[in-house]
Amino acid sequence: MSHEKREVTVTIDGREVTAIEGEMLHDAARKGDVEIPVFCYEPKLGAPVGACRMCLVEIEGIPKLQTSCSTPVRDGMVVHTRTDQVKKAQNAVVEFLLVNHPLDCPVCDKGGECPLQDITQGWGPGKSRVIDEKRHFEKPIELSPLVAIDRERCILCYRCVRFSQEVSEDAQLQLLERGDRTYVGTFDDRPYVSPFHGNITDLCPVGALTNYTYRFRARPWDIEQAGSVCTLCPSQCNVSFTVRDEKVKRVLARENPGVDDGWICDRGRYGFEMFAAAERVTEPRTKGGTKVSYEDAIARAAAGLAARDGKVAAIVGDASNEEGFLVQGIVRGALHSPHLDSRPAAGPGIDAILDLARPELQATVTDIDDADVILVLGTDPLQSSPILDLRIRKAIRRSGARLAVATERPTALDGGAEAIARYAPGQASYFIGALTAAVASGAENVATPLAESLRDAGKIVIVWGERLGASATNELLGLARALDVDGPKTGLSDGFSAHQQVGLLEVPEVANARGLREAGVLPDAGPGLAALAVNGYGTEAIREALIDRSLDGLILVGVDPLRDFADTSRWEEAINAASFVVCFSTFATATAAKADVLFPLETHAEKDGTVTHPDGRLQRVRPAAGRPGDIRPGWQTLANLSLALGHDTGVTSQPTAFAALTAAVPFYASITESNIGGRGIRWQETESGASVPDAGIASADARSRRVSGESTPASGTSTAAPGAATDSPDTQRDSASAEAVAAPGAPELTLGTYRDLWAGPITELNPPLKFLKPSQRLELSPEDAERLELAPGDPVRVSQGDKSIDATVTVHERIPAGVCFLAEGIAGANANALLNGHQVNVQIEKRSEVPA
Amino acid sequence: MPHALETRVLLEHAEDPRLATLQGYKELVDGYSTLEKAYRSMEQDEVLKALEDSGLRGRGGAGFAMGKKASFLPRGDMEKYLCCNADESEPGAFKDRELMQRNPHQLIEGIAIAALAAGIGRAFIFIRGEYDRQADILDAAVLEAYEAGYLGEDILGTHRNLELVVHRGAGAYICGEETALLDALEGKRGNPRLKPPFPAVQGLYGGPTLINNVETLSNVPRIVAKGADWFRQYGTEQSPGTKVVSISGGVRRPGNYEISLGLPTRDLIYELAGGPLPGRSVKAIYPGGSSSPVLTAAEAMDLPYSFEAMAEAGSMLGSGSVIVADDTVSIPHMALRTARFYHHESCGKCTPCREGTNWTVKMLERVVRGEATPMDLDIISSVQENIMGHCLCVLGDSMAMPVSAMVRKFRGEFEQVMAAGEAEHGIDPHLVVDLSPEALGAAS
Amino acid sequence: MTPVDGAGASNPNLPVDRAVTVGREPSSSPEQIPQLAEVDCPPELQERIEALMARYPERKSASIPALWAVQERYGWCTPEGIRQAAAVMRVTPAYLESVASFYDLLHTSRVGAHRIEVCTNISCWMRGGDELLDAFRAAAEGEDVFVTGFECLGACDIAPMASIDQRYFGPLVPGEAQTAIDQLLSEDAVLPEKSLERRPLAGDTEVPR
Repeated sequence: MSHEKREVTVTIDGREVTAIEGEMLHDAARKGDVEIPVFCYEPKLGAPVGACRMCLVEIEGIPKLQTSCSTPVRDGMVVHTRTDQVKKAQNAVVEFLLVNHPLDCPVCDKGGECPLQDITQGWGPGKSRVIDEKRHFEKPIELSPLVAIDRERCILCYRCVRFSQEVSEDAQLQLLERGDRTYVGTFDDRPYVSPFHGNITDLCPVGALTNYTYRFRARPWDIEQAGSVCTLCPSQCNVSFTVRDEKVKRVLARENPGVDDGWICDRGRYGFEMFAAAERVTEPRTKGGTKVSYEDAIARAAAGLAARDGKVAAIVGDASNEEGFLVQGIVRGALHSPHLDSRPAAGPGIDAILDLARPELQATVTDIDDADVILVLGTDPLQSSPILDLRIRKAIRRSGARLAVATERPTALDGGAEAIARYAPGQASYFIGALTAAVASGAENVATPLAESLRDAGKIVIVWGERLGASATNELLGLARALDVDGPKTGLSDGFSAHQQVGLLEVPEVANARGLREAGVLPDAGPGLAALAVNGYGTEAIREALIDRSLDGLILVGVDPLRDFADTSRWEEAINAASFVVCFSTFATATAAKADVLFPLETHAEKDGTVTHPDGRLQRVRPAAGRPGDIRPGWQTLANLSLALGHDTGVTSQPTAFAALTAAVPFYASITESNIGGRGIRWQETESGASVPDAGIASADARSRRVSGESTPASGTSTAAPGAATDSPDTQRDSASAEAVAAPGAPELTLGTYRDLWAGPITELNPPLKFLKPSQRLELSPEDAERLELAPGDPVRVSQGDKSIDATVTVHERIPAGVCFLAEGIAGANANALLNGHQVNVQIEKRSEVPA
Repeated sequence: MPHALETRVLLEHAEDPRLATLQGYKELVDGYSTLEKAYRSMEQDEVLKALEDSGLRGRGGAGFAMGKKASFLPRGDMEKYLCCNADESEPGAFKDRELMQRNPHQLIEGIAIAALAAGIGRAFIFIRGEYDRQADILDAAVLEAYEAGYLGEDILGTHRNLELVVHRGAGAYICGEETALLDALEGKRGNPRLKPPFPAVQGLYGGPTLINNVETLSNVPRIVAKGADWFRQYGTEQSPGTKVVSISGGVRRPGNYEISLGLPTRDLIYELAGGPLPGRSVKAIYPGGSSSPVLTAAEAMDLPYSFEAMAEAGSMLGSGSVIVADDTVSIPHMALRTARFYHHESCGKCTPCREGTNWTVKMLERVVRGEATPMDLDIISSVQENIMGHCLCVLGDSMAMPVSAMVRKFRGEFEQVMAAGEAEHGIDPHLVVDLSPEALGAAS
Repeated sequence: MTPVDGAGASNPNLPVDRAVTVGREPSSSPEQIPQLAEVDCPPELQERIEALMARYPERKSASIPALWAVQERYGWCTPEGIRQAAAVMRVTPAYLESVASFYDLLHTSRVGAHRIEVCTNISCWMRGGDELLDAFRAAAEGEDVFVTGFECLGACDIAPMASIDQRYFGPLVPGEAQTAIDQLLSEDAVLPEKSLERRPLAGDTEVPR
């Protein structure tokens, strides 16, 4: 993959420019500070189309002008971009574009930040000869509930439709009709709805595609742009907030190739209106909703917690590294309790986490771009980290990467996959064990077809979901070991190429999962993933300890267990059992309502802090907008609370909080705000990156033995080594169940659940996205639907024991028989209510009426 | 009986309806004997050499040497394609229709031999959707050829294969542009592609692709059967062979005439097509379809009808389609018809063509309505210049060339038409500007 | 001097969109690749499209022929028909509509039971194509016959001409338009003497005097 790119020298307008062979002339010119105007050219959209003709240049030796966007540089090329011939072409193209473009700039939202205006000013003829009528369309038309289209402004640059074909691959947005009658539209004037469609408003070089959320709300000269990071999901895309009067009016993508390629999803783009929702917690409160001052709230919280010294636990979700670090300081330092976690369910032990943190096993986002094979394991990136979905599509489309998918539920990426395996909910670790066996020893089992697609790949990137669970994560390390034939050998290589290398990239459950773990918000590791003298309880054990009263106080930061955690009724019992609850929450959730002291949280538009991307990139969330109401920074509240508990952290500002973090996490030691800069920095690539602790067992042999699945008490895995496992009757049985073959006539189906991209406050509290609010759907295979005499749209009740929720049936051809799926976190019909931490079977009965 | 000035080679026996059947084709012109000979006993290079030596120039419009084009295809095992361009849509051209309708097997045999010359295993005939009847005839002929073992797998037991599919378009002139044809054949909107890469390197489905016109491919069997020297006995040094010429417009006998290239244009129009209608005279001609710059009668009549003579006269032979404008035809109106056609057919992909054709039509409409000034004629000419050489494909230039030639050569007539209109309307649109938002295009 | 500056103004004529205040609801459901079960595709149409796809190395190549098949079945490329073809071809209906709308012979809105295209391009125009079009339009008034002017149909030898249900006729005089439509509606052979197929090769015709 690493063939050296040859450097060539080209002369552009008399300047010698060093460029990379094959690079497009337009890009090479830019390196020499020669700007060639373009409209249609955008390398992120795939191969150049050469449609707008704005970038015509003169190349010596070629009689006709050439489009610089599509002409690769050759050594010795002599190019002119300002000759009379070129100027004439540029003037001509600008004049042609304005033949039909209305000059309604005074009322156009693009005015002032419009490439067409800029290029007309810079390269146009300076006068108009057009007196003929321009084309008209009805305007504006609702292209989607979020994007308006003013068709007569469109200059047909192809960018938006190429995005739909080449990037999001939804193929919904198309050109219709022909010639100058061409317009951008959808089938049958249906709305264009795709999780990424807002990007077309960034791409549009004129005011043809505008956001309803921004129309007529500001002029470019009375706004400020503020770069930050979106923390609505683990993708941590770089964004730029458009702020007017201290309020966010718009979110734009801010390109960072190492993170997002310059795209953001519609959650990140249109989620900002919830920052001002009525449900926002804007000041500290006591139980019952009484507003209190920060000083009062901190005093109350400190008193309540101090009274339960040693019996307090904390669970952290949506928080910065600094906030996580301060919380662990409070729990461990001030309250003398080891019990804290940052994961919604039991996760792998610290040894596995340390193995996963090894830099050589870490795949970066850019590793996806040149992977030979991408294995998506136990996650649907579209739902959990949407921008990775685009990245994987790009690798397949642009670099010929092959894709293998192994999940419970069909994923959005299935269409592009070369091999797909479906295992039954709860069977991930058995499946991965089988896959490891198939890879390592060529065993014939359910995973063999998938193993075949990993064969002879030079570079494998495994994109895996945290929701695989603890034991499957341990199996995953065994798989990585088996694939990475350059590493310590654990089995026969059996035809796999000798230079195969493998990297892992996690899709965690919360946005800053990695940062929180590394800041020490784990039951079995402190800051810097350091070993502890005493390990504490993890999330599920905390719940049980609250119920049996061995724990008494609870600190919840940016989590909503009553919505987001499995077994919601058990959580309700646990929180009710806690005699003192301190909650930090952005919104007035059901969980927040149970807090004895409730503190507001900042959103990522308001917060100052760092977060760590799943690939180890520390990025900085910068305050862009004003904090509503009386909200104070999270670090400040936590530092003051810590102080009130007698534990002085020395933190008096965000920089001091950051300094405290980097001092405590050895492998963050050389990270500074300045080297984080605008694009972040991966700690693995810094000087201190080697300071990540070893898994605690001295020899590499021992480590390899451990990661390959041999007994690891800390991680609690119980499976045998994969090489041997395939022959054991146990695994054979489980492999069979991995195919999810239900006994005919069985009344129960195995329940799988998934995180829906649109479930939660993002659609409930945010008017622009309200139309996407999901209702609960029971997804069934056609076989089960037929057997249960259910048709799409039928209302059903899904029950597990005495718990039940209502849903509507959908039938999905790619769901295997014997399993069904429900979405988590849906208000009023939350699948988390049916879960209990084990494999769950549900009963389905048809309801006679649809409730109003 | 053919006229003495005609040289019927491709149209040999074309008046006989039996020719359209396999049996008739074999009986009347010894059909498929060349295919048999080539497939059984000739090597790829031998066939290719015969085509190269013949100097056969493409009959679709560009006039590029067919053998040379075939030689550009890379050797090797990759999937290669041949596309027969039967999307004949240039105003004035209807010769491919005649060839397909009257002698479909000649084309099929030509395709099979050309495929052999370039090592191609899959071929398509892209026929314009309007030619429904001709496509039916081709479908039937292809079926016959398959049944007779001239197409398909292991042709005549030679272990050579060729699949041939007749693919109907659906009404878009631009699909006659070779790369737009490829996009249309791939099931897309018929937009031209950027070149390079050229189709010979990366064409249909990304594979090397040879694209030839119906008439070009119809020439192949006889060239391979009779040799390059036989072929070169017709035509001129630079335009060897015969050419089926479509003549239409203001003549007594419009139709297709096969001539030896180099025949005086005068003979073509006066002898073969019978000259202008009674009482009229020839004013101008498009010598090679509507995209060729018009020639005045004085310029045209003494020119030999060949690629090189037409190029020298500042026009082109193109697809070999002569449209004759007699003295009753208003040149400004003819310019408008021409511009409207290209405006209608512009695919819209590139700016100069999409907007230039649109703007030209609007200006010419003002000219014929009498709402223009001589300055507008200058703008029209300037706009044609701004189109030429700046577009993604040749469609924009195809309007710009004839329109600018008409304005240049018949400027007086344009001014006359405008003046008549002005007198009628009594206003100068450049002095009275409609300031309503609709007129300014500044929609609310 | 007073600066003229409206920056920061909030104009009551340009209110904040309801997307921000209450949220917009989509006018209809978005359309991705429909599943076959959703579209109720007639089996013969499905078989035909599947056979068409089999002719090409890549199934998308069948999009124009598939749209022809839809048009043949429904008279035009109806949204329902496009969805059916899309489900069989596993492409989005938007893709097929985009393709259909590019081509003049594929209709994305309703046309009549019969289609007549009258050439008005240069050679036919010189010989009365416009008048012929007017005559066809007048004759088709009130009938289920779609008449349109068309660019060059490739039959300038029989100018002025028309394509009637995909068959060529010419040279026609305006008076023949009514006859042609009457014959079409009564399912008689249309203008048999003017059919292109009856026309001899140019060099074999007599010079008119």
